Amino acid sequence: AIAASIASKTKTKKKHFVAQKVKLFRASDPLLSVLMWGVNHSINELSHIQIPIMLMPDDFKAYSKIKVDNHLFNKENMPSHFKFKEYCPLVFRNLRERFGIDDQEFSNSLTRSAPLNSDAQGRSGARFHTSYDKRYVIKTISSEDVAEMHNILKKYHQFIVECHGNTLLPQFLGMYRLTVDGDETYMIVTRNVFSHRLSVYKKYDLKGSTVAREASDKEKAKELPTYKDNDFINDGQKIYIDGENKKMFLEKLRKDVEFLAQLKLMDYSLLVGIHDVERAEQEEVDSEDNEAEDDGESDGGGVGTPPDSPSNTLDSTKPLSPGEFDPSIDVYAIKSAPRKEVYFMAIIDILQHYDAKKKAAHAAKTVKHGAGAEISTVNPEQYSKRFYDFIATILS
Amino acid sequence: MSANCTSAAAVSASKTKTKKKHFIGQKVKLFRASEPILSVFMWGVNHTVNELSNVPVPVMLMPDDFKAYSKIKVDNHLFNKENLPSRFKFKEYCPMVFRNLRERFGIDDQDYQNSLTRSAPLNSDSQGRFGNRFLCSYDHRFVIKTISSEDIAEMHSILKKYHQFIVECHGNTLLPQFLGMYRLTVDGVETYMVVTRNVFSHRLTVHRKYDLKGSTVSREASDKEKAKELPTFKDNDFLNEGQKLQIGDDNKKYFLEKLKRDVEFLATLKIMDYSLLVGIHDVERAEQEEMDVEGAGEEEEYENDGMGGGALTGSFGTPPDSPGNPLNCGGFFGPGEFDPSVDVYAIKSRDGAGKKEVYFMAIIDILTHYDAKKKAAHAAKTVKHGAGAEISTVNPEQYSKRFYEFMSNIFVGPTPPPPTHAQLRPGGTGPSHLLHSSSSFLFAPARKLSH
Repeated sequence: AIAASIASKTKTKKKHFVAQKVKLFRASDPLLSVLMWGVNHSINELSHIQIPIMLMPDDFKAYSKIKVDNHLFNKENMPSHFKFKEYCPLVFRNLRERFGIDDQEFSNSLTRSAPLNSDAQGRSGARFHTSYDKRYVIKTISSEDVAEMHNILKKYHQFIVECHGNTLLPQFLGMYRLTVDGDETYMIVTRNVFSHRLSVYKKYDLKGSTVAREASDKEKAKELPTYKDNDFINDGQKIYIDGENKKMFLEKLRKDVEFLAQLKLMDYSLLVGIHDVERAEQEEVDSEDNEAEDDGESDGGGVGTPPDSPSNTLDSTKPLSPGEFDPSIDVYAIKSAPRKEVYFMAIIDILQHYDAKKKAAHAAKTVKHGAGAEISTVNPEQYSKRFYDFIATILS
Repeated sequence: MSANCTSAAAVSASKTKTKKKHFIGQKVKLFRASEPILSVFMWGVNHTVNELSNVPVPVMLMPDDFKAYSKIKVDNHLFNKENLPSRFKFKEYCPMVFRNLRERFGIDDQDYQNSLTRSAPLNSDSQGRFGNRFLCSYDHRFVIKTISSEDIAEMHSILKKYHQFIVECHGNTLLPQFLGMYRLTVDGVETYMVVTRNVFSHRLTVHRKYDLKGSTVSREASDKEKAKELPTFKDNDFLNEGQKLQIGDDNKKYFLEKLKRDVEFLATLKIMDYSLLVGIHDVERAEQEEMDVEGAGEEEEYENDGMGGGALTGSFGTPPDSPGNPLNCGGFFGPGEFDPSVDVYAIKSRDGAGKKEVYFMAIIDILTHYDAKKKAAHAAKTVKHGAGAEISTVNPEQYSKRFYEFMSNIFVGPTPPPPTHAQLRPGGTGPSHLLHSSSSFLFAPARKLSH
């Protein structure tokens, strides 16, 4: 999500990563230290629990809670008092496995170095972070979102079982509540839609509606603005993928939105990111010229990957050339057919339930009045159809 | 009283030994135990050592480290119920101090953690003073003692000076090696525990055990005690048997030097009522026991885990993949042999001694403070009255001298004949001529001690 241009200007040179054994959980924000500590703890705890053959109903209601109260100990990087709660640990462990994510690697991504702030804004200003290696996104959510997740979790899990993890839906990997200085923060971890290596230079958030679906001037001033439906159409933007890819993509999309409609969820988006291969190559050349010395640690199109991470092209058995990706890591990546582009496309923001919306809309209606008060009366079924049709159209 | 991890005699061990005990691979630790408190203990030690591995080792300890603690409260719901209680608390006192002490005592944190967590600690049938509970790590390297909150307070009082003493003697002492101190809360009940290095060997069986104080009042094993597998004998038993430890002059000199330093330190802290715990391993008897066991067992017992005798020469209770298992070490331990970096208190009998023995000797029970005693004694005095109410009025200084005098004479050396009954009068401190033996120049000239 960070533009290649920003990345090349701010990329960390010769970033030394602390050896594996010692994890200091050092971060700019105590909340991030607690997140790192908590994920590290949670994965360690799980490693002492035998993996069950199958999940039980109780697993969907379970949680683990831990409260730390230190006195004159370990004050350097951690707050002295904090709480960490993990929801449904066994369920998320099972989901990680189904999404092809090893628990140790998951832990390493989130704990070896502090997650980075993302300037992306979620709905209602939700806060985003990405793991330092950019594989995972950490989103701050509301307690209502946590409740909604609990409501859908069983069916979501079942859906993932049936599609063998092959879906455009968000890959939910962990859900936590952190308490620092008496404040509770809810966080959810998902796989990054974009690549951990290849930069995205243009980003769209598409819903298939045209009401107020345009990036504001403020948004356009950002390094990597989030454009919307109208911008997409007005720009004459196209997604060029070949027949086979298109077929597979639309099949997944269809199954996914039908599932969402069944659960009466709506207002989700298709997040689209575009990587331009030639543009990225040029940026790398530019940044190499800017450097006083050759640090030897730059990797093709990559940004901030630690020397010892498997994604570092210096380490892999075969280095990835420009525009290439490992589909087991960048699972949403699709190569474009004629143009030298890579697209990253997946569904995001699925936790808005129709009933919750209706309540809020009715409340608002009684306050506001008349025209101009645009309140969507589309229902989840209609929303899913409109969404699907729009996406199918732009893929021609 | 005595810590005893080899309390089960070889005979009972061979009957109850666990055959082919499979040790779980290193990664998965289930913390499975017969009681929730042991599971919590294992979980807690595992957690605190892991936490410490993420805290850099400081250049030196700070005053705050002696007041610090880490506390953690676990509240699980429908999760991990199989081996652990859903709710419990674990507190570690002065984590940085004990980490530093472990280092000074040559104990690696990972090894410490493994010993206490890979398999549940074992109950010991020995009773401490006031029935304190004793446990042993499954590999017999460490002793876990349940203590009182007063003991915790006392530990905090002496910790700085204790640490300083350990720094100055480079960890070379007969004092207990304090390695960790914890408070566990399970079902609302708080239990305090302290971990020390086992005085006895983790491998070689102890066949005879003494708890010596250097006083002769009520210092005899009861009949009930004598009925145990490995009774704890005391001063009078030792003297009546004419027991002597054959450690040779150099060992004796070295041992007594350490002892003197240690008891002087204890006296300055006004600590008393400690004992010298003595364990004797009889090499020939052990060899015989092993042959008996091999005759009785049908199959190879590399994984035998007995509290007492061992199937393999001197090996028992060590998991196949532990460095203590002779199958793993570069050197194979013969009968009566030991690794002095593990069995730090072991002393071989001198060449030419009648029997081949190995002795394990160290000071135990150092948390009784004189002021606390006096208070209790005064309270008791006002209740009890007259003769029979034996309340010691010895002070720590006197205690340490009497203690040292007695211990300097338990070894073979230029010894006078054993004391007669006439000389062992109640209330006395033993034959008066013993006070003039080799050690007298180390203290003020011996004087008749009132009791």
